[in-house]
Amino acid sequence: MHRYLTAVTATLLTLATAGSSARLQIPPHQHVSPALENLSREPGTVEVRLVAAPARMALLPSGDSTDVFAYNGRVPGPLLEVREGDRVVIRFRNDLPEPTTVHWHGLHLPFTADGSPFHLVAPGQEHTYEFTIQPGTAGTYWYHPHPHHRTGYQVGKGLYGGIIVRGADDPLAHLPEQLLILSDNRFREDGSLDFPDPSSPAGRADFENGREGDVVFINGVVMPTLEVAAGHVQRWRIINASAARVYRLALEGRSFLHVGSDGGLFEHPVAVDEILVANGERVEVLVRLTGEPGSTVRLQALPYDRYIPQTRPADWNVTRDLLTVRVAEAAEPGTATTTATTTATTTATSPTGGTGTTATAGADFGVPGTLRPVPPLDTAAVTVRRVMTMSQGFINGRAMDMGRVDAVAELGATEIWEVENVVGMDHPFHLHGFQFQVLDRDGVPEAQRAWKDTVNVPGRSSVRFIVRFDRYAGLWMFHCHILSHEDAGMMGVLEVREGGGRP
Amino acid sequence: MNAARSRTLTLAIGAATLVAATLLVLAVAGADAAGPTAADQRLEQVLRGRQLVITHDCGACHGGGTDPRSDDWLVGGLPGAGAGLRVLSRNLTPDPETGIGRYTERQLFNAMRWGLRPSATPDVDITSATPGVGNHPLQPDYLAPAMPWTSWRNLSDQELWDMIAYLMDGVRAVRNDVPESEKPADRWAGWFRPEVIGPYPILPFPAAGEELRAPDRLEEVLRGRRLVTSMGCGECHGGRGNPASPHWLAGTWAGAAGDTGTAAADVPAAVVASARAVTVTAGPYEGPFVVGELTVRARNLTPDNVTGVGSFSERQLFNALRWGLRPGETEDAVITSHVPGEGNHPVHPKYLPPMMPWVAFRQLADDELRDIVAYLKYGVRPNRHRVPASDGPPDFWAGVFAPAALPPMPPPAFPTARERGRF
Repeated sequence: MHRYLTAVTATLLTLATAGSSARLQIPPHQHVSPALENLSREPGTVEVRLVAAPARMALLPSGDSTDVFAYNGRVPGPLLEVREGDRVVIRFRNDLPEPTTVHWHGLHLPFTADGSPFHLVAPGQEHTYEFTIQPGTAGTYWYHPHPHHRTGYQVGKGLYGGIIVRGADDPLAHLPEQLLILSDNRFREDGSLDFPDPSSPAGRADFENGREGDVVFINGVVMPTLEVAAGHVQRWRIINASAARVYRLALEGRSFLHVGSDGGLFEHPVAVDEILVANGERVEVLVRLTGEPGSTVRLQALPYDRYIPQTRPADWNVTRDLLTVRVAEAAEPGTATTTATTTATTTATSPTGGTGTTATAGADFGVPGTLRPVPPLDTAAVTVRRVMTMSQGFINGRAMDMGRVDAVAELGATEIWEVENVVGMDHPFHLHGFQFQVLDRDGVPEAQRAWKDTVNVPGRSSVRFIVRFDRYAGLWMFHCHILSHEDAGMMGVLEVREGGGRP
Repeated sequence: MNAARSRTLTLAIGAATLVAATLLVLAVAGADAAGPTAADQRLEQVLRGRQLVITHDCGACHGGGTDPRSDDWLVGGLPGAGAGLRVLSRNLTPDPETGIGRYTERQLFNAMRWGLRPSATPDVDITSATPGVGNHPLQPDYLAPAMPWTSWRNLSDQELWDMIAYLMDGVRAVRNDVPESEKPADRWAGWFRPEVIGPYPILPFPAAGEELRAPDRLEEVLRGRRLVTSMGCGECHGGRGNPASPHWLAGTWAGAAGDTGTAAADVPAAVVASARAVTVTAGPYEGPFVVGELTVRARNLTPDNVTGVGSFSERQLFNALRWGLRPGETEDAVITSHVPGEGNHPVHPKYLPPMMPWVAFRQLADDELRDIVAYLKYGVRPNRHRVPASDGPPDFWAGVFAPAALPPMPPPAFPTARERGRF
């Protein structure tokens, strides 16, 4: 409860001093992001308070202070933790000097609660987001602003936070877990955030590539250390909250067990040496380290060439260290082994009482071969096939127009979308409101059936996915999740309605 | 003059140019009520040829780019690709000792149609592409591969005679003794084997690399086909002038002969900057251009939706040909100016590389550009072939194509100081 009080006090402080221009002074290294406090005593209801406001805090290891925008005074914002079936009520207040929204990236919810550009919250206004977490959606999501033309700026200023939806039947619930939110930023000498003039060369480069920063954070901390008990398995939920940086994650030669994606767990886990996480995407992996206590392994971002040569940054091929993982003494099975210099997510307690002996149950990671069923969407039910052509800054040759509907779909219809990237740069494609299943990439069938809301489409390639527009009519955005592209208009509007259809 | 000449085809020349030509005839020759004189007709032919010489970018290699006001207009001497041999472009001015004034018009016709070196080929009518047949020399002495005659030969007889008329009677003679080019022992016969360059005349539409994708667009497709096959698109984009080629317009083909591209040393920076001699230097190789540290590859022009131009609108492709703007990165709008920020021209334009001769192509009539676009979108068979991205400067060549650096459009009035207008 005291966390909530802190937030409220902070808000009151903001209001009391000088309205939205007031700054909160937050000491360095205390901006870990706890879970939002549930204010409701009603079972099955999660009611939280969220305030977006300017703040001043030390993001850089140097201790220099930076003016940021923060949710409840935190960067990243506090974790929203809910369970399948929960009714969620978010009492949001905008204390920023500009309009904003809160988009619940990946969640299946009513159009009016989506936090899309259609529902701006003016400075000083409150807005209540209300929705129900659908069964089967357990997974890792995130929230961030989505006002047209300003998303990149507001996210870059610090507005992003994680969401974990928990399911009652999570086969991995017994594992200790970490939420790792990846972000990057760029700073001036004085510690302020660097948003260059759009007409300057740096501004032009940001426009082309998206704004990448040379300082990479995990949960708002540069190169934090994470302890893992020797031989024990940890579950990592990873969110790419960067405006443009794409992470090709690797663990210095060790394998991950890739167990989930945007919309939750896979049917079958798969061992991989590296994972590409594009903007807005999430992955869930299991990590198990053996080694002498005290030895370390780095989580790294390997070079990934998503650029075109004309604007490829000079340092694109640098390997970046993200996180030090230190092997600790083996601990009692089933207990939390993480000491958090990173954000401590609430460590899952297994619904079965934490009896999991994670050591070795067949596979290295001691998890079942089938995690949960991921039933395929029925291709025989497909009534409409659409092509979405992404070029640099445009979808189907057009820039975003809030007054235009680009596609109309029947409520409940199953469709196949072919997303074509016809230029040289990668573009991650995000659809609001509905999870989809990738069918194939460049005609090659997808090996792993998974729920996705964002898919990276490399240059001059295509991805086909199948999607069903269940339950929620409304206006849904689809866009490139490189935020400067989205802000420039690389976005369209899908209307889902009864009696809908083409175009 | 010869049998082939009677096979005159429709002229691919814009109405605007014809009007301009007529006006010039009136102005320059002072036509009287009795009708056109022989000199009037020759002037008209010279003007048609001038338009073809400009739009086919002869000056890119032979000097002067697309601007007939240039001091070095068609005087030759620029280096071109020759598989490691030293190859220099010839002096195309009618100087009787160092230029084409040494040759007959028929010898020049045989050079453009059959690729035969005028100085080493008898002055006779030639009717076949096959050595030893129809007066084609049994041991032909071909022009260097840099000369894209494998496309020029698809021009009509009349168009070739028009270009020759311009070179002979419309260009001021300049004495410029260009050293002989080196050539291999087979005088390039190995480069120009029939199975490599395809048949002449080209196969009827649709050839193996073609299909009619919009039946109501057939007329445009056929007109566009004539332009695409005769303007040298395939010299860089694949298949040379042969739409039956398996690589027809599918872009730089990794693994194709000469994939290592043109050695940087062959291509002086000034040449790249001024025009695009590199286009022709790399022509028949179907490999990437290597200019300094930049590797530039010809795009896939087939209408494949993902790797080709199939997803671009006709207007975007028109804007690529007329204004040099990259179709995937330019708003789909009517553009009316070459000046950034004016007439819908992007404030920060992203241009195709200088190897792409859009500065020459933009002098084509609107209808001709639309026909080319119609052919690419509706007359070519899609070929899913991913060409890696090309290198380029961060300004997307905007420095090279600054408005002040571009010759006027339409071209400057005839005759310029480098041309002559009396017959």
